[in-house]
Amino acid sequence: MTSKFSQVFLASVLALAALLAGCSKAPTEADLNLATAKQKAEECVEPENVIRTKHMDMLMHQRDATMIEGIRTKQHSLKECINCHVSATKQDGSPLHYGDKEHFCTTCHAAVGQKIDCFQCHADRPDVAQNQNYQHAVGSTEGHHFTQGVTEAAAPTTAEVQMVTQPQQGAAQ
Amino acid sequence: MSQNRVDEYRRKFVTALGGVAAAATVAPGFFLREAQAAGEVPTRSLDQAVTSEKRWGMLIDITKLTDGGAGMVEACKKEHGWDNNPLSRDDQKAHWARVVNVKDKLTGHSFSLPVMCQHCENPPCVDVCPTGASMKRADGIVQVNKHICIGCRYCMMACPYKARSFVHEPLTDQRSYSPRGMGTVESCNMCIHRIDEGRLPACVEAAPDAVIFGDLNDPNSAVSQALKAMGGKQIRADLNLNTGVRYHGI
Repeated sequence: MTSKFSQVFLASVLALAALLAGCSKAPTEADLNLATAKQKAEECVEPENVIRTKHMDMLMHQRDATMIEGIRTKQHSLKECINCHVSATKQDGSPLHYGDKEHFCTTCHAAVGQKIDCFQCHADRPDVAQNQNYQHAVGSTEGHHFTQGVTEAAAPTTAEVQMVTQPQQGAAQ
Repeated sequence: MSQNRVDEYRRKFVTALGGVAAAATVAPGFFLREAQAAGEVPTRSLDQAVTSEKRWGMLIDITKLTDGGAGMVEACKKEHGWDNNPLSRDDQKAHWARVVNVKDKLTGHSFSLPVMCQHCENPPCVDVCPTGASMKRADGIVQVNKHICIGCRYCMMACPYKARSFVHEPLTDQRSYSPRGMGTVESCNMCIHRIDEGRLPACVEAAPDAVIFGDLNDPNSAVSQALKAMGGKQIRADLNLNTGVRYHGI
């Protein structure tokens, strides 16, 4: 009796599982071979210590370059930060906003008591409707990692080296 | 298994894209020529600053606008999402572009035209801005740098075209390419994000037969040729603002 019941139960569970597996759903991060948070930190546009201390300066510089001069490079663009680090929805499928504690930016800003107003105007999550492939895969050429596509900086001239190694007399110490 | 599913997903996505491309190719030749004119933009590499070599402008032929420009306004609304202000009074609501109806009381002759920022060469809104937020980009596009806008609304007073509006309420879910927020002034920016990508502004795409978009500095561009042939009026030409948006048929 019980064995018959358990057989029926098992069969229905299997059927349900098969049904779920067969459903075509939007691919998850794992399906798309997207990066985990740790990999993202390794592939970020600047080394981790730089991005932690200087991201606000980079964003400030980028915003002026974009607004005034029309420069739209991706390496320090807020939109690309969002595309890479913030998921479009929460675990339960509802839209993720800056006010939510699982928002990538909020996780730190809440801890350090930082109030920012970027997201009063800017979109705080990827615009999936506009671009479904907003995120690039790990190690792809679309990345904006600081070692990608950056030509070697010109070697400092002897005068520049001198300026650094032998500060001028009277210069502020 | 997982990889197959991704491939399948990509295939569907590409197929969908193909449909979009096919729809785009049935546009009339007139439109395609303009698309190529705007397609000159990507010669500017996006890590280079814009220059005054080009000056973007458009000619709107209102005799070919069957709806008086309502379609253009709707396209703008959809592109920038500026109809999302339920808490504001009617006179406070955003209006990046609006349809203006004109009637001569004597003769009864009437027409409608879409009015948005006219992208003046000498913009009064830029003259009065105390912070430099109201600005003209080197390629002639007049826009608000909302990062430094303090919301004083002098520019709204100064604009003879009533092109600017103020955001009175907190917003969420803005477009990623068109940030808008409470406490700042906003107006038509000629779809600057599209121009930088080499695409036509949304309103031009919505009325391809009636609007010619292009570089006013290039005498051979379609818009310059059309202006040469058809004339093209400025609204309030008496103000000597040399607007970038011109009209035919008013």
